[in-house]
Amino acid sequence: MIEEIRNQARQLLENGEVDVVIGYAEGSDPSRTTPIFVRKAEDVEKLIYDPRCINSLPIYLNKRHEYTRKGWKKSAIIGKGCDIRAIVQLIAENQLKRDEVYILGVPCEGVVSHPDKWDGSLHDGNRASKCTGCDVMTPHETDFFPGEKPEVDRSKPYEVTSPKVANLMELELDKRFAFWRTDFDRCFKCYACREVCPHCSCNVCITDETTPSWIDPAAHKKGIFSWHLTRAMHLVGRCTGCGECTRACPMDIQVDLFNQRMKEVVQESYSYKPGYSLEDKHPLITYKVDDREDFIK
Amino acid sequence: MGKKIEIHDFEPKIMAFVCKWCTYSGADLAGTSRMDYSPNVRMIRLPCSGRIDPQFMIKAFEQGADGVFVSGCHPGDCHYNEGNYYARRRNTTFRQLLDFNGIDIERIEFSWISAAEAIKWTEVIDAFTDKVRELGRHPQYNDDIVDPYAQFLVQKKQESA
Repeated sequence: MIEEIRNQARQLLENGEVDVVIGYAEGSDPSRTTPIFVRKAEDVEKLIYDPRCINSLPIYLNKRHEYTRKGWKKSAIIGKGCDIRAIVQLIAENQLKRDEVYILGVPCEGVVSHPDKWDGSLHDGNRASKCTGCDVMTPHETDFFPGEKPEVDRSKPYEVTSPKVANLMELELDKRFAFWRTDFDRCFKCYACREVCPHCSCNVCITDETTPSWIDPAAHKKGIFSWHLTRAMHLVGRCTGCGECTRACPMDIQVDLFNQRMKEVVQESYSYKPGYSLEDKHPLITYKVDDREDFIK
Repeated sequence: MGKKIEIHDFEPKIMAFVCKWCTYSGADLAGTSRMDYSPNVRMIRLPCSGRIDPQFMIKAFEQGADGVFVSGCHPGDCHYNEGNYYARRRNTTFRQLLDFNGIDIERIEFSWISAAEAIKWTEVIDAFTDKVRELGRHPQYNDDIVDPYAQFLVQKKQESA
């Protein structure tokens, strides 16, 4: 599989069709992989793909990052299904043009939840929770795919993959608040959840703005709650569920539970699944006259 | 011919974010018609209910509001044609988000009030004030989600007084 991808990447670079191939390479220790930018055809041998490749590469296509300002007209990117969802969402939000990116799709059987859990193979004990119920193991939007692409039914509604969301929703309001209070106690506002998110595309994040300062920059409860509520609200209907925010969190706060819950709400209210259509607008920038308004007096 | 003034143990602070074209005019009509409504409400006039960012509501709670009231034109009546439809979607999701975070959504009220509905304005505001008064002081945003340094300054000021 990876040989075909390497050959295609070599051809693309030799013909000058793309300026860079973004993929994965061996990392600093055997359980880790690292993102790599391949610019010369002889370097394509460095590209690999296996269940250790957990990083989300579409952040390098986001205009917020420096990489797109290096004069690279067109990038090829190795994408597993969930990353391609993020690329599709970027295109739907006009952050990226479809002809600026060449998607090398890979068939994926799931990835590990954390590099430390890698023991040579992928099994139920170390598979990431986002991979259960995944319907894009064969990617949906690709320019190149090694082998035949089987037809997959992707019309099913979004499924919450973390049991913690349902468990939290069963709790009393006070208990739910207590859960988040203890969890947010550990947050020290490193903003890793923002830096790793492929959809945070503001040039100046609202939390970095100082006139006025909407979110208290200090890492006390007021600032932390304000930050996490705002982050979750800005991702409503846009989050494609790559789970990178939780993985990147150095304090193991499960910030993607918010996003999973909001995906469920969006699916129930507006039957919208982010990351599957290049044209559909996300639900908060469009409307229907007969939307639900059961809460309005 | 005003209402009889009642004295309560607790008076809630209610922040209202209202649309300039409908609800603010409705409240204005209530005032010029000499109707009584609860004085707990502090209004902020905005161009449209679509201008009301959930950030405003978070900030209002942080700064000590016990209840937040959001209001705009009825669907189809928006001065900018579609602002209130966006507001409706935004508030549907924002309420669910607060609920998931364990913050009581009874403290947020959303209502459509037109410029002619002064009576509805007084009724809705009175009912909401009574509801929040019964719920009492906002425990989460007054005791838990606070800035410890600001609390320290308040304490120091009280000691010196």
